[in-house]
Amino acid sequence: MPVPDNVEATVRALIDAAGLPVSDEEFESLVAGYPALRELTDRLYIEEVRYEEPVLIFTPLPPVRE
Amino acid sequence: MPSPRTIESAAAALRAGEVTSVELTGEALERIGALDARLGAFIAVNEAGAMQHAERADADLAAGVDRGPLQGIPFGIKDILATHDQPTTANSLILDPAWGEGYDAVVTERVRASGAVIMGKLVLSEFALGTPDEEKPFPIPRNPWRLDRTPGGSSSGTGIAVSTGMVLAGLGTDTGGSVRFPAAYCGHTGLKVTYGRVPKWGCVPLGYTLDSIGPMARSAHDCGAVLNVIAGHDPRDPTASAEPTEDYLDGVDAGVAGLRIGVPRAYFFDHEDLDPEVGAATEAVIEALAGLGAEVVEVELPHSDIAKDANTLTMLSEAFAYHRMDMASERWTEYGKGARIMIGRAALYSAADYIQAQRFRSWYAKQAARVMGDVDALVVPMTPEPAPEYPPPDMNRRLTMPSYAGPFNLLGYPAIALPAGFSSELGLPLSAQIVGAPFAEALLVRMGHAYQQATDWHLQVPPDDAPGGEEAQGLSTG
Repeated sequence: MPVPDNVEATVRALIDAAGLPVSDEEFESLVAGYPALRELTDRLYIEEVRYEEPVLIFTPLPPVRE
Repeated sequence: MPSPRTIESAAAALRAGEVTSVELTGEALERIGALDARLGAFIAVNEAGAMQHAERADADLAAGVDRGPLQGIPFGIKDILATHDQPTTANSLILDPAWGEGYDAVVTERVRASGAVIMGKLVLSEFALGTPDEEKPFPIPRNPWRLDRTPGGSSSGTGIAVSTGMVLAGLGTDTGGSVRFPAAYCGHTGLKVTYGRVPKWGCVPLGYTLDSIGPMARSAHDCGAVLNVIAGHDPRDPTASAEPTEDYLDGVDAGVAGLRIGVPRAYFFDHEDLDPEVGAATEAVIEALAGLGAEVVEVELPHSDIAKDANTLTMLSEAFAYHRMDMASERWTEYGKGARIMIGRAALYSAADYIQAQRFRSWYAKQAARVMGDVDALVVPMTPEPAPEYPPPDMNRRLTMPSYAGPFNLLGYPAIALPAGFSSELGLPLSAQIVGAPFAEALLVRMGHAYQQATDWHLQVPPDDAPGGEEAQGLSTG
């Protein structure tokens, strides 16, 4: 997923969808960091991982706590 | 200058009748009184409770009741762990005061049962992730070697307190390096344990699949003594491992002769942001271990740079799930500036990104298992640079800087951070880490102890009048 052309609009949509009441200064910081965040995240999608299962393991048994 | 006290030396002195726990506790309180206003290690000191515990420890020893090496030892608890006799804040205005009220975390129970003297609750980065915020009513922690540098986080207070002798050991938590960073920047030893080795019940979560609670102390030996107390299964934590514990000091003097040490060069040693002095200090650790008889081989742990990002994504996403209800409300600004922007950043990831990080984690775990099948341990730098300046000039820099801690949180592997020298210009501590296979904590303690028998970096204590205060004047300690 390439970094979108309109970073501001993308970050605004994601932050609004999450309901975070960020200040203008915080929004600018998130916008400034977004291209790097997206680039670093996209590096996770490497060919070697294509057929891996995630480490998440679900069990239908109830958790035993005490 | 005499060597600073360690658990090892203090426990021996207690049993030889050369000192009492009341005297040790008095010394610790003196250090706190002299230094804490400048350094910001404690959120709350429990002076009366500490003295009561010290008197009890002395009385028990006199009566022949010996609970082990932590008995009578001044000890600190990171304020993210529940203590029945003091509030728990997670260094935040957000945490419900009812959380943790009136009960102990599993690790606190165990530390109390060991007879240790709990001195109080130690400062941390907000919810183990944020940065100090001078607008909030919590102390600003400072590096005891230079006040305008960070002490590291998130277990900042434990790092400062151990380094300066306010306590002889304490507990930190480590999700992306939070035991090891403050140990590295403050110049002592820190042991990040295998995921599940130490039960987390009674600890405010940060990253559910990454969090660990570990010892911070001057020496590897002392970390082993603390781990002997806190390790082991508890049914209240569903992620706690049933893997048997062992005596983490058994065989501590066995040395490193014959052990195979793997050195992964890519990323850990060739990154452009690695400070050459940190690299050189780590090379010196490797040479020292080789000089003690270890065999050194080069290994490949591919895509460790991506592992760091997978760890960050996992940590932030899990933290955001915990915090979103508070964050998406009028309480947003009750969070500190650093915590809210870092945790809130997780809103920019997708659910698929999180799952992909867990798929990467599976693959990376296989690579690491292959490497560890051929060596006993890895040695890598602990941090890319000595303690950076505070406040950080650019919060986004954390995204792109390498982390040599995060990949091993992603793996759940144990790792021990060891003091390895000082920077030439500012005299800041340098650190290397030894990484082991799952549940190999005893080996890491043994290797760290062997290194520390041959060096004395871990015994260096910062001056009481550390420089840098002029530059840090704008930051109150609250």
